[in-house]
Amino acid sequence: MSGGPPTTAVPDRAGSARAPTEQAADAATAVTPTFRALVRRRRIWIVFAAVLVLGAIVALAIQGGLRPPGVPLGADNPAPLGSMALVEVLRDHGVSVTESRSLESAVDAAERGATVVLYDEFALLDESRLDRIAGVAERLVVVEPGFSALEALAPGVRLAGVASGPIDDVACELPAAERAGSLGDGQRLLTVDDDARAAGWQGCFRDEEFGFALVSGEGDDGGKVTLVAATTVFANESIDDAGNAALAIGLTGGSDELVWYLPGLGDVDAAEAPSIAELTPGWVSPVMVLLIAVVVAAGIWRGRRFGPLVTENLPVHVPAGETSEGRARLYARSAARGRALDQLRIGAIGGIAEALKLPRAAELGAVTDAAARATGRDEASVRRLLVDTEPGDDHDLIELAAELDVLEREVRATLRPRFTRPADPADPTDPAGRRP
Amino acid sequence: MTITGRFALLLALGVVPVVAAGLAGAAEAWVALAGWLTLALGAGVLDVSLAASPRRVALGRELPDRVRLGESVTAELTVRNLGTRMLRATVRDGWEPSAGLAGANRTPLRVPPGERRRMTLQLTPWRRGDRRVAQVTVRSAGPLGLWSRQATLAAPGRIRVLPPFHSRVHLPSRLTRLRELDGRTPLLIRGQGTEFDSIREYVRGDDVRSIDWRATARHVDPEVPGSMRIMVRTWRPERDRRIVIVADTSRTAAARIADEPRLDTAFEASLLLAALASHAGDRVDFLAWDRRLRGRVHGASGPDLLARMVDVMAGIDAELIEADWSSVPGQVRRVTSRHALVVLLTAADSPGSSRGLLSMLPQLTARHTVIVASVTDPALVEAGAARGDLEEVYRAAAAERGLIDAARVAAAIRRLGALTVSAPPHELPPALADRYLDLKASGQL
Repeated sequence: MSGGPPTTAVPDRAGSARAPTEQAADAATAVTPTFRALVRRRRIWIVFAAVLVLGAIVALAIQGGLRPPGVPLGADNPAPLGSMALVEVLRDHGVSVTESRSLESAVDAAERGATVVLYDEFALLDESRLDRIAGVAERLVVVEPGFSALEALAPGVRLAGVASGPIDDVACELPAAERAGSLGDGQRLLTVDDDARAAGWQGCFRDEEFGFALVSGEGDDGGKVTLVAATTVFANESIDDAGNAALAIGLTGGSDELVWYLPGLGDVDAAEAPSIAELTPGWVSPVMVLLIAVVVAAGIWRGRRFGPLVTENLPVHVPAGETSEGRARLYARSAARGRALDQLRIGAIGGIAEALKLPRAAELGAVTDAAARATGRDEASVRRLLVDTEPGDDHDLIELAAELDVLEREVRATLRPRFTRPADPADPTDPAGRRP
Repeated sequence: MTITGRFALLLALGVVPVVAAGLAGAAEAWVALAGWLTLALGAGVLDVSLAASPRRVALGRELPDRVRLGESVTAELTVRNLGTRMLRATVRDGWEPSAGLAGANRTPLRVPPGERRRMTLQLTPWRRGDRRVAQVTVRSAGPLGLWSRQATLAAPGRIRVLPPFHSRVHLPSRLTRLRELDGRTPLLIRGQGTEFDSIREYVRGDDVRSIDWRATARHVDPEVPGSMRIMVRTWRPERDRRIVIVADTSRTAAARIADEPRLDTAFEASLLLAALASHAGDRVDFLAWDRRLRGRVHGASGPDLLARMVDVMAGIDAELIEADWSSVPGQVRRVTSRHALVVLLTAADSPGSSRGLLSMLPQLTARHTVIVASVTDPALVEAGAARGDLEEVYRAAAAERGLIDAARVAAAIRRLGALTVSAPPHELPPALADRYLDLKASGQL
């Protein structure tokens, strides 16, 4: 940030020698507003922005949107995707609901005869763990089973996409399903193949020929397993659609005890491996925060403008050749060969007349005569070149243009006996108005 | 307010204590981070609170009034600290870009309280006209150089950048020709447009036709009784003629020919003609005109004339409007009612755009001698000669068309009784000067 070579600062001896009060110099007027003036000037905008921010906060608080969305189908989650509504209703009716995040506690409760609701959102459970819970649970309700869960629990039942709309074809004799009668929109579907049907799996809530929203059957160890393909039946936002609530309560309220089991990270094999946070030394995160602070500081250091930009009014300048270029492009676009050649001919005739010192108002015939005599060419051919020949195509045009140039040079060359070279390319023609 | 690189470096140095503490544990590392950030911010706040106020500063400027385009000047700025603390400032002077400030424009200054320091900047303006500066930005750092305060202060200044007058290189040769006309050289030329100056004795080499026999008869030679001394009349060119230069500043003057706007060529030609004519004893007036009077120099003579002309020209730029030629005779009449040489510096290159000029010319030629001087485009002549391929032929045709148009306009101007001078940009000023000398020699002023 030092000045360039020609920029020097020298102490002003005369000035510093004088007493400071001798020169009654006034402080220069500051263009930059002080902080207070800035606040005062922008008051309206600051108030406006504050009102906007406050309003947004209030609106979010009223909508409850400030709370985190919570775990989907969480037993204590009142958000649209939670399941607190169902759990509270069951508790009101005397069912003791236990939340479980680990396989061990769920298995413990299942061994006591509790119904187990299993929602494995991220497919964390492997086959052996699924078998274990299915083996001890008398009643197991699997919500939105994934591919691996179906393979483990109900081979032959497969995922079959999304239902086309609300379903009211019960299509089975499951008591809970019959009581519900219909399901709301947003169901997913499962298909049951022949082997599975032979093994005792039956589908309920059929969506035409596409599949079933619910499949029930018996597990390997005799426990009842119900597969509900979508979470909508249990979620707070859709539990009051059609018969969703009846089905949910029918499936989960069958026993005095209910285990609401959402598998957690502890149920994964990988959980035994150390996390990234455990592997890295303790100073890494603080250093990253520090680096962010350094980057911000460096950004302010380099980005802060040294005073306002200086504007300048620039005058208009137009390249003069544009007119001529534009006219040339017009000739070319409309292939105006005759017109273009006419311009060249007029120019050549004018040049020849000037070179031969003919009067300005000389007739065309006189010019062609004089040109023919000066160059020793045939008068008729000169006349053809200067007047008569029509250019048939682009090639003709180029040739005629070149010949005109040659003729003009020849005429000029004949007038300079000392320079016998006929067509001197460096021939400086006198610009008009310049004196010799 | 702003921060310096030193502060960013200070923050970055926090890596050392954070890592050192982190060897003991993560919590200690976080504590070290918080401690370091607090320390750095505290140092910054302390620093900025100890910095001198950039607002309590008095500024003074010392600027040269004028500079010719292409020359360098030094601009001085005096910074006086009115506060009670040491001012460690970096100063930026807010010149327009075309003022051509050399260097980085970041001048470090240390000004003790109550004292003042002077900084010198070198300017090489690259555009004619008034180059202005409105403000100075002062950044005042604290004693640690971590944070600084910044304020922009009003400090208006102006340098007038005059037209370069490159064509003055042609002046000596034209002045020699003028002296020949003037009779100050041994050669005596008698012709039209000269007036009687004096009678002196014949010396060998004088034109025998200029011998005044009656004066010879009156002059008896005292040394040789009975014989006469041969006397000759001497002549000098007319003096005290009026010359009115009218520069057209309308849209055609904005056209750039051979990298020089027409207007600048017109100014060069005006300056050369004015310099020559003022040496020849004629009186020169200058008008810059489009739809209104943009600049005027009236009644100046001698060295004052050129100074005032460049001063007036400095601020004039071409405007994108059509010239109002019908008012030009009125403007000329306001300058002089006598016969004068009126020089119109304009563009006469197409019949369409010259219609206003042509319809006005008879009013001027009836009363004055008129020269219409215009710039020809050397690019047109070049394009007219190149005929290699089809594109070039069309371009040559268009160029010929342009030249024919210009020739037609020139012929029309001559038919209306005015004289024409047209030349490429760098040749127009001497061509105009030569035409003036011709007129002077032939007594048409």
